[in-house]
Amino acid sequence: MNETVRFTLNGADAVFDGPAGTTLLDLLREEHGLMAAKPGCGIGRCGACLVLVDGAPANACLVMAFQLDGAAVVSAEGLDRLPVAAAIRAALVDENAFQCGYCAPGFTVALAALFTADRDADEAAIRAALEGNLCRCTGYHSILRGALAAAARLREAPSP
Amino acid sequence: MTAASGFSVLRPATLAEAVAAAAMPGAVPIGGATALQLDWAAGAARPGLLVDLTRCAALSGSGVEPDGGLRIGAAARLAALEHDPHAAAGAPLLLAALRSVAAPPIRTRATLGGNIAGRTGCLIPALLALDAALVLASAAGERTVPLAAWLAAPPAAGEIVVAVLLPKPSPRRVETARKIGRRAAFTPSVIGVAASLDIGPDGRIGAARLAVGGGPNRPRRLAESEALLVGCDVGAADWHALRGALLEEIDAADDGWRSRSYRRRVAAHAIVAGLGGAFPPHPGPLPAGGERGQGRALPVKGVRAEDRAIPLPLAGEGRVRALPEEVEVSHRSLGDRWRIRPDVQAKVEGGFRYLTEHRAPDMLIGRILRAGRPHARIRAIDVGAAEALPGVRAVVTAADVKGENAFGIVVQDQPALAADRVRFAGEPVAALAAVDAATAERALSLIRVDYEDLPVVTDPEAALAEDAPRVHEGGNLLTDLHFVRGDLAGAWEGCAHIVEATYLTPRQMHGFMETEGGFARPELDGGLSVFAGGQYALRDRMQLARILGLPEEKIRVVTSPTGGAFGGKDELTVQPALALLALKSGRPVRLQLDRAESVLSGWKRHPMTIRMRTGCDAAGRLVAQQVDVVADAGAYASLGPGVLETALEHACGPYGIPHVETRGRLVYTNNGLCGAFRGFGANQMTYAIECQIGRLAERAGLDPFEMRRRALRRPGTPGYLGQTVGPSERLDEMLAAAEASALWAAPRGLSGDGAMITGIGFAMNYQGTGLGSIPPDPGGGRLALAPDGKIEAAFGFDEMGQGALAMIQAVVAGALGCDRDDVRPIVGDTALTPESGSTTAARATFVAWKTARTAGPALAADLVAAAALRLGRDPADLAVAPGGIRDRRANDAAPLIGFAELAASLDPLPQASAAFEFPKTDYTRGNARFLFISGATLARVAIDRVTGMVRVTDIEQHAAAGPIVDPAGYLGQIEGGAVQGLGFTLTEDMRTSGGVFLEKNLDQYLMPSIADAPERMTTFALEDLDPGDPFGPRGVGELGIGAVTPAIAAAIADATGLWPATTPIAPEAVLDALEGAG
Repeated sequence: MNETVRFTLNGADAVFDGPAGTTLLDLLREEHGLMAAKPGCGIGRCGACLVLVDGAPANACLVMAFQLDGAAVVSAEGLDRLPVAAAIRAALVDENAFQCGYCAPGFTVALAALFTADRDADEAAIRAALEGNLCRCTGYHSILRGALAAAARLREAPSP
Repeated sequence: MTAASGFSVLRPATLAEAVAAAAMPGAVPIGGATALQLDWAAGAARPGLLVDLTRCAALSGSGVEPDGGLRIGAAARLAALEHDPHAAAGAPLLLAALRSVAAPPIRTRATLGGNIAGRTGCLIPALLALDAALVLASAAGERTVPLAAWLAAPPAAGEIVVAVLLPKPSPRRVETARKIGRRAAFTPSVIGVAASLDIGPDGRIGAARLAVGGGPNRPRRLAESEALLVGCDVGAADWHALRGALLEEIDAADDGWRSRSYRRRVAAHAIVAGLGGAFPPHPGPLPAGGERGQGRALPVKGVRAEDRAIPLPLAGEGRVRALPEEVEVSHRSLGDRWRIRPDVQAKVEGGFRYLTEHRAPDMLIGRILRAGRPHARIRAIDVGAAEALPGVRAVVTAADVKGENAFGIVVQDQPALAADRVRFAGEPVAALAAVDAATAERALSLIRVDYEDLPVVTDPEAALAEDAPRVHEGGNLLTDLHFVRGDLAGAWEGCAHIVEATYLTPRQMHGFMETEGGFARPELDGGLSVFAGGQYALRDRMQLARILGLPEEKIRVVTSPTGGAFGGKDELTVQPALALLALKSGRPVRLQLDRAESVLSGWKRHPMTIRMRTGCDAAGRLVAQQVDVVADAGAYASLGPGVLETALEHACGPYGIPHVETRGRLVYTNNGLCGAFRGFGANQMTYAIECQIGRLAERAGLDPFEMRRRALRRPGTPGYLGQTVGPSERLDEMLAAAEASALWAAPRGLSGDGAMITGIGFAMNYQGTGLGSIPPDPGGGRLALAPDGKIEAAFGFDEMGQGALAMIQAVVAGALGCDRDDVRPIVGDTALTPESGSTTAARATFVAWKTARTAGPALAADLVAAAALRLGRDPADLAVAPGGIRDRRANDAAPLIGFAELAASLDPLPQASAAFEFPKTDYTRGNARFLFISGATLARVAIDRVTGMVRVTDIEQHAAAGPIVDPAGYLGQIEGGAVQGLGFTLTEDMRTSGGVFLEKNLDQYLMPSIADAPERMTTFALEDLDPGDPFGPRGVGELGIGAVTPAIAAAIADATGLWPATTPIAPEAVLDALEGAG
């Protein structure tokens, strides 16, 4: 059945009128043309479609339209809104954290959520926060180096 | 592209509304709904009505009750509970259990009530140990029931969980909770345990609550074991008796991944160890912690004392012992050479576009109908109803194939769309294109195929029998290779030690994150463009032309960029269906497989059974080896014959063995598809041969380095097949580097807390590059000045993530003298790029380097000549520089004329090309390689004494593959290969039953997560080449995965004495070894 839901997407008001079971992933990609969230498994097991829903990381393939009413959704394209995003992105780029890059936006979202909640996140916290993201190219260490470099940058930067 | 299901949703705000909604026919109450997609994928019926309980105030909040107990609303999100102060104070055990549930992004959505309501949740054991009660509500009113009693009774329809009550905890407790999974994190539960003991003021156990559950195991308290503890002094509990009682009382499920008895054992061990009791018994003395590994010979049955007494003629004497001049490959140590790859920023920001992400207003959505049965004759296909459905623009079957309905890189045995027979469950039978995803899905269900099932061929050995059912008319034996050297029969006589083992390797899935897909578009000239991730556009075009009956020049194939391939996109995947649909509909068509369809239909690594018998003399010198390989080809050949050939070419590793016999058979089955995969057979064989050498070293009483030093091939001698091999062999250096490694000297043995046993292992790595002496192996490329002043470097190979673009920039800039940013790489497009060969076999680096070296000077000369003319200077005074052409003698590097200005003045623009064969050897009786690269891998493992699970804490790789072209790319290949190899070794296998894959998606097929990645990974490179070596940098794409498995196996042997011969290595086998049951 169709549902009408109102939410914000990367800070802008958005309305969806369609089947209640439409996934946020399809909604982002096919309705809004926002392709950063990627379909990887469709069952919440790879993290390639990670977005922030009310500030918390969520698998867009598991969130359905009816659950969005009143929510604030931020996709990887909209991370600029978070004060920590620039440092995270720059560090990931400097470390050549990704190869094929299909998992990259999901990891970036997970790290943005982590560092927003805890600027002092250490390696153990970083690893724990990334348990829901699969990468098949890198063996994770380049991503970890990028995340640790981001943590160092954030420590040096004044808190907002 | 899940078509939305047509359910309605109610969002009750009050408990009364919630109860009323839940009582409606067909209503399904939900919390975070995080398991729904999983359940639906598993075939659960889609509900008509969902009742979203998360907005019901009565189910939210947490707080301390008047009796000191804790009440937590059922709609509490798990992630919120992790930070809930009441829960932290009143139920730390619950907090510990929470962190093992799924993964952080799931826990932000999933609710406590949802975890309980399904009765399989990972929190239930902890809640049982906390003596939780549930507040339930239904039309009949509210009731409070102990969780244990609720679990024991059948579910009551229409009843919802309102809250969880946890009694006030005893002030003094001993508690434990542990989930045992199949990998380190985000894992299905093998079994979960929890225990909580209330300790009285006298130190005696007042109450004991022990529980198991999780996943397929029935959650329950363990009353008899609890009774054993009550009244005991907690410091003097009889842990041995408790373990026995637990083993008696625990019942567990057997779902094929882990046995019932394993689950029982680990649950009992986890409870005992978690409560402070002893670890499982270990036969004999445990290896002491901190022992230096050098020369440590493990006690092995059957070693005669006199073997060790024989004086050892040191064949290793006089070989290179000086430590090689390696560099650590890292940003830190190679900072001045570290460059940022050109595509990484867009990838991080999310703006990078893959071929599956192109959208156009008139684009149709394609879908493929798969057989869904492993072996059957097709009696009839009826697409009438699908074609008649409004919105469907084309339906294609084998009848629409105008050319040959057969493809395959080596043998053309595979139909583009099945005509009269299907040979694997994922076989495409028809495809269609419709205006939207929902229409396409609906139309797919309207195609009727009448099948007659045929006997399913599942076991490659059984398939060799004369009377076995046939997968192909010509029989099941696809390839049979045999090689003999020396006199094997006589040679065994001269062996003092012989080891014999059968190594079994898994059907590994590539697991590229971007599943197969792309789009195809008919062109105005009657031609066709196909954009789909691949590894060799020109060959894809050739194969498509054959299928479509079109001339090759009418087809453009674009294969880059793609989101990972690892060999899995080397053969055609979805391109035939896309092409047929675009041609028939006359419209652009896009299609991307969802993961389940990718799993079902995609290429996999060939499972191999490798029987290996290897003998050495009393001095440890290798004398004889016999190898017999049976490999599962799956339903169609693809590159299988090449994979088997490569495996056999590496049968002796880097060792000289005078008497050898190898046989390999590749056998058709109905077990899906097998094809190219990083390592290409060599890594399976390296696992076997390196374990054999390790076992022999133990028998001969030699340390693993000395054993190898006596056996390594000598540089410049003929290769395994007798072929001439290329220069710059670095095996001795790799051996020396490994032996000197700090990791080898790291602590091993029992950990300080007694929970882990660590071991360190080592293996050599020796891998051929290029396709070999028999198949065509063309290389080449084109360099040109573009109108905008960029140096365009065009290559037919692909950017799949490995870093081809950065590598091209590096070699071209290096050859020309310009900056890397002056170079614009163009790859993987038959309209724009020349023949470079396939993006496989670690060959692209050499191809680009050789092209730059060949064509670079010619282009540079043209650029300099043109600039000289323009500037009125002597060309001899000018040189290519970053940004343009500079005065050769000026200190100032600023160009006299920029490339863009130069380009604007030139017509035509200069270009230079190269075309050559990848370096080949002289041997043509079989396929043989010429350029080999060397490496050594060390692994350190920590083995959990409770579970037998192996955690790889360290991997250190040494690689000798010539100069590093791009440090980040080099490092990425080695590290990425290592962890892909770790998955092959510990967790990954696509198991089959009756020709059907048991793993359907990434919830069951477990690739390593970040928690499985080693704590430390270090990579060293030896960059030097022999003087005059004309072959430059070799690719390292296959080196990283090459020796990880045997290094881990050797580390396990170091820790336990067990040489695991089956991968993925079963924790149960390791536990058996630890407990002396093996």
